[in-house]
Amino acid sequence: MFVNPEVPPDALPSAEDLDWQPLHPRFVRRLQTGAILRIAVLAAAAATIHFLAISADAGPVIRGVAGLLPATWAVVAVLSAWALIWPMIAVPRRGYVVREKDILHRSGVFWRSVKAVPFNRVQHTKTDSGPLDRRFGLANLSVFPAGAGGHKIRGLGADTAEELRVYVSARIEAETEIEAEAETEAEPDEPADEGC
Amino acid sequence: MLNPSDPGVWQRTSPFAIVFFVGRTVRNFARSIVQLVATFGALAVLIERKPAAILVIPAAILATIAGGVLQYWFFRFRLEEDRILIRQGVFQKTSLDLPFDRVQGINVERSLIDRILGLVTVSLDTAGSVTAEGQLPSVSTDLADWLRTRVGAGRPGRSADAAGDDGGQPADRVTPAAAGRVRARGEVVLKLTAGDIIRIGLANRNIVVAAAFLGLFGEVLEIGEDVVESAVESAEAAFQAADEIVRMLLVVGFVLGGLTLVLAIVIGGAFLRHHDFTLWREGTAFRSRAGLLTQKEVVVETAKIQQLTLSQNLLMRLLRGFRLRALPAALLPGQGVEGTGIGMAEVLEVPFLRDAKAEEMRSRVFGSEGEALTLLPRDGAFVRVSPHYIRALTLRISAVSALIGAHILVPFGVGAGFALGGTAGVIIWWLASIPPATLLAWQRWRHQAYLHDDDGLASRSGFFGRKVDAFLFRKAQSVSVRQSPLQRRKGLATLQVQLACGQVAVPYMDHGVACRLRDHMLYRAESSRRRWH
Repeated sequence: MFVNPEVPPDALPSAEDLDWQPLHPRFVRRLQTGAILRIAVLAAAAATIHFLAISADAGPVIRGVAGLLPATWAVVAVLSAWALIWPMIAVPRRGYVVREKDILHRSGVFWRSVKAVPFNRVQHTKTDSGPLDRRFGLANLSVFPAGAGGHKIRGLGADTAEELRVYVSARIEAETEIEAEAETEAEPDEPADEGC
Repeated sequence: MLNPSDPGVWQRTSPFAIVFFVGRTVRNFARSIVQLVATFGALAVLIERKPAAILVIPAAILATIAGGVLQYWFFRFRLEEDRILIRQGVFQKTSLDLPFDRVQGINVERSLIDRILGLVTVSLDTAGSVTAEGQLPSVSTDLADWLRTRVGAGRPGRSADAAGDDGGQPADRVTPAAAGRVRARGEVVLKLTAGDIIRIGLANRNIVVAAAFLGLFGEVLEIGEDVVESAVESAEAAFQAADEIVRMLLVVGFVLGGLTLVLAIVIGGAFLRHHDFTLWREGTAFRSRAGLLTQKEVVVETAKIQQLTLSQNLLMRLLRGFRLRALPAALLPGQGVEGTGIGMAEVLEVPFLRDAKAEEMRSRVFGSEGEALTLLPRDGAFVRVSPHYIRALTLRISAVSALIGAHILVPFGVGAGFALGGTAGVIIWWLASIPPATLLAWQRWRHQAYLHDDDGLASRSGFFGRKVDAFLFRKAQSVSVRQSPLQRRKGLATLQVQLACGQVAVPYMDHGVACRLRDHMLYRAESSRRRWH
């Protein structure tokens, strides 16, 4: 028999008082490495132009671009510093909580966000990992509710991500079964014109 | 002719489906502007260099028609007791196996040719799968009715359940004639009059675009000033004594003529699209049908509706009317094939209705839930968001203005004063843009409001016009509470609710209220055992 007792608003569990799970500690180094690799490509391009500009037979275009070199190197230096510092600030601010009925994810340093996805709205789940993620033993978990483009939690340990995926899939299955049972029970009495 | 009572037999549609396939090919081609411009650009260059290349055009037309014939030839479908199978494709073969219980609705479109021949194009709406594959072009209306009945019988509590009560006939033995009788029993909820359709035309915001286009057209053909001038000259010759009056009358006449033409275009367009618009309630579904030449029929299950949007632009406000859109669930990733096509379901749209009817529709769609909600933007129960929203919006608008200003002003900087002059100019520009930006932000804030009860939320927004989005909490897919640095300082937050049809956001509401609403919404979504789609 399906029961659905009313819950007073004050008794509702608040998403503010949760014990947030941190992301994997290696995620900071993974972000730093990824950013440094991207900056290395930019630096290589700047170095090539620098080398061409100081060579004797440089054309007028290269010489013109060479005027921007100090600014380019300054940008590379600032980005490198930022890439090393920012993950140390941002990663501790991220976290997730898995509850019986939903999964929550928080993120953001300046613009902060807490997002909650109920399990009975999740259509499917996915784990993925790039070469860098695998190098650091990390993986990402995505849950896909209907209509949205998916919700990704990055920087989980590979084992944790797989365990979470299995857990969420089991919860989706359980919720689907409960809904199917409830629908079957409700059908005989459900008026046709009850709204959506 | 097709016989829906032939189960298990692979069938072809009517040969008139060739027109549908050719049209679909042309539409697919024209969908990408880049593709269109690149093709015609390359063709123009080719023809300029080699005039014989003009033969490419008839060859392309013939190839398109031949493609349509081949698509028709390879398009087969088979009706089973509980499903429909569709095979299609000339080179790349696709096979669709669609159980009737997965079909959310049967939408029907009838072009002029279809109407003359008694045919329809049926779209099987699965709210997630690739809808283009679930289309049956140019089939008989009997088959469409039969499919509708089967789809209704496939799921309990749906529109065609009544078929089972029709003389005690079991659903699997419902004949097309019985299906027709079931459809005829639908209750008419709304029927637009000719006056309503004229109002839709008058409220069309494209009226401005049409006027501009006519002006441009007149300019291109040099019929604007020249025609007026020559007409005035000839009129002057005829009525020399009253030349000033004649000149004025002619100018007024031309203006009125242009205006009449613009009105004729927009009103004609409204009649083409919405002629004889009727909305029925059939069991648990809504069905709308409209169109002068091509008649379109949309069926949406009430349970599938995720959000109601009532909008009113400035022109519609003068006419005291609204437009209502009932948005059903869009792409369900678990059901569709990821990255292939758009699984957008048909939106049920009522192009013109009065406030009482809008509230009646809300009540019909939401049922006994969300009784304290309203779709009417003027309702006094709406709570405005924090005035700090004006500040944030002013900053955003003036920053965009400063960026535009930088592009305009910086090139005017000269020599050593370049950087200083440019920067000072941009700062002055930015400061000067703050008062108008504040005015714009204030206007936006006036309309930004929300209203909620225990079951749902209505969010009002808009600049000149107004729009109210309303939904039930149990339909939420995910909920976010976001805070910018300013919002954190002021104890405010933005509540974002993801629905299966899109997103509804309420900016700059109290942080505590946003958190409580999020927790309550989660509770309602997680504890509800009713079907959300």
